[in-house]
Amino acid sequence: MSLSQAARDRIVNDFIPRYPSKRAALMPSLWLAQEEAGWLGPEVFEEVGELLDLHPTDVASVASFYVMFHRRKIGDRLIEVCENPSCFLNGSDQTYARICDQLGLDSGHGGHGVQTTPDGKFSVRPTECLAACDYAPVVQVDLRFYGPVHGADVDAFLANMEAFSIEGKPSVSMANGPQAVPVDGWEAHAPPAPGSAE
Amino acid sequence: MTQTPPVADAPIQHGAGQPLPWEPVLMTAVGREGGRFLPDYLLRGGYQGLTKAVQEMDPDSVIKEISDSKLLGRGGAGFPTGVKWGGTKRNPGPRHLVVNADESEPGTYGNRYAIDADPHGLLEGMLVCCFAVGIQQAYIYIRGENLYGAEVLEHAIKEAYAAGYIGKNILGKEGFNVDISVTRGAGAYVCGEETALMESLEGRRAQPRIRPPFPIEVGGGLFGRPTVVNNVETLMCVPHILVRGAAWFASIGAPACPGPKLYTISGHVNRPGVYELPMGTTLYDLIYKYAGGMKRNQKVKAVSPGALACQLLPGTDLNVQMDTATLTRPPHWHPPFGPVGFGAGGIIVYGEETDIVQVVARAAGFFARESCGKCVPCREGTHWMQDVLSRIAHGHGRPRDLGILEDVTRNIGGRKTLCALGDFSVNSVASALRLFRPEFEAYCNGHARSSAAGSGVPVAAG
Repeated sequence: MSLSQAARDRIVNDFIPRYPSKRAALMPSLWLAQEEAGWLGPEVFEEVGELLDLHPTDVASVASFYVMFHRRKIGDRLIEVCENPSCFLNGSDQTYARICDQLGLDSGHGGHGVQTTPDGKFSVRPTECLAACDYAPVVQVDLRFYGPVHGADVDAFLANMEAFSIEGKPSVSMANGPQAVPVDGWEAHAPPAPGSAE
Repeated sequence: MTQTPPVADAPIQHGAGQPLPWEPVLMTAVGREGGRFLPDYLLRGGYQGLTKAVQEMDPDSVIKEISDSKLLGRGGAGFPTGVKWGGTKRNPGPRHLVVNADESEPGTYGNRYAIDADPHGLLEGMLVCCFAVGIQQAYIYIRGENLYGAEVLEHAIKEAYAAGYIGKNILGKEGFNVDISVTRGAGAYVCGEETALMESLEGRRAQPRIRPPFPIEVGGGLFGRPTVVNNVETLMCVPHILVRGAAWFASIGAPACPGPKLYTISGHVNRPGVYELPMGTTLYDLIYKYAGGMKRNQKVKAVSPGALACQLLPGTDLNVQMDTATLTRPPHWHPPFGPVGFGAGGIIVYGEETDIVQVVARAAGFFARESCGKCVPCREGTHWMQDVLSRIAHGHGRPRDLGILEDVTRNIGGRKTLCALGDFSVNSVASALRLFRPEFEAYCNGHARSSAAGSGVPVAAG
């Protein structure tokens, strides 16, 4: 049995009653199972399926749709580097390459698969936009947000990730409060305002 | 509310002459000690909109107030919120409310900060919707990556249950019962599409449904029931509309789609971030006045005005007003692909030094990976675009590749797919080909730029 009794209880008593159909408890159930084991194996699909009246293949089929559900064991910590345009423009390729280099992984392997260090401590993969583009380049480690992590910051980042945490921090633009305030002397550096042709 | 912004009597002029300072409406919690918790929300006038709705108004007058405010959905489609609520209500219950907090569009990140800052603002908007439309079960679907946001919401929901804002007989109103829960996605961009989101919430692979029936109709919504699907920012506007009135809201910014807007700006700007400004603020003001201009003082080469799913605007087009109405009608309309698009107001600014071919290759890779695989044009076409662009970006392009690319974009775009993911996947590519064709030709003729957007590292072959 891979699901703990506590997890089974939570699925039955907390997740299933939230929805009018048992099946809808599948997403939270898979998350809970993955939190316990670190990944989702065939036994989990059977056990979750049994609780939700679903065929294990059906459960596996749903799990396989979502990139955050791991169907094989990954490293103790998962490092994901955004490679979408806002991070790319700010040098996320160097961030990714440096992280791979430091962990002895191949940064030029292409593709979007997970690479794991031989000692099983770290897995690394590129990822899609993490919705924190003001802190680009953004890195996510075990679902926590960090940024900006430039290539030159990687060594410091790997030594002390918490120094780069942006969890709960306001946007870069709102460091002094929510009001959008024009930058002092902005006109001096701006090209002439375009005509009001609109 | 404790702060009364001077917006109602100080109409916004577009462009450089906009009166300042403009008081924020949606992000007032930022910078306040404990701003995201219930006690501070109440200090800021929280739950007064809901109280007014329940104690002074009836459900239909709430819907009328929202309609009169001319609030358009902030998720990208720009559908009138009052019409959506009214339409759902005309269909028999039980009904549901689903909050689309799956914000995954590259370059769009206002919802994440809004949830972090003011989760009760979202909950209050949801409760008003539930009161107006007659809904007892509401779900927030938040992207799996945003674990912190899910935790913030879970905590706020607990606070609201304990204080009697969620639960049974809310605010003493007999029969006004609402339950709210959070469901986390697990990494699928397509879940931002409302029918795919509902599939995921129901425990399925997130593949969009064929419409009709539409979500507001029986058979089309969550669990087959009539369902309101609203964006986070849309619902956060709602309590303010009830407290300050539809006329106040309608007077802010662009008359066709008024209200405050959380613009998010990123890329080659000096001060990226979330800027709450009136709808219709110009791109020029956003880039230079607020976001501090361009890194290394470079010129603007192009802009994705509504993030990656929109068409590129050329850097010469900065006087454009950033709002749903302006960017979805001529001259910002390019057949056969349609409008440039405003999306959810996620602006990516590309400076002169950007290698646009590398950016577009990345965009194509993104859509190919995120295509759900249900309908053929998107499933096949996005991979064709990715293959061809990856080839070009790696310097192996052939002159005929641009023709292939154009052909593929025309066979995906223009309403040939089940949902907007496929339709919009061609927008960056097709508009870049239109605006920067010589750069693609240079790549195909062996004259690629030596560095990729100043990064020097070639694009990964997805």
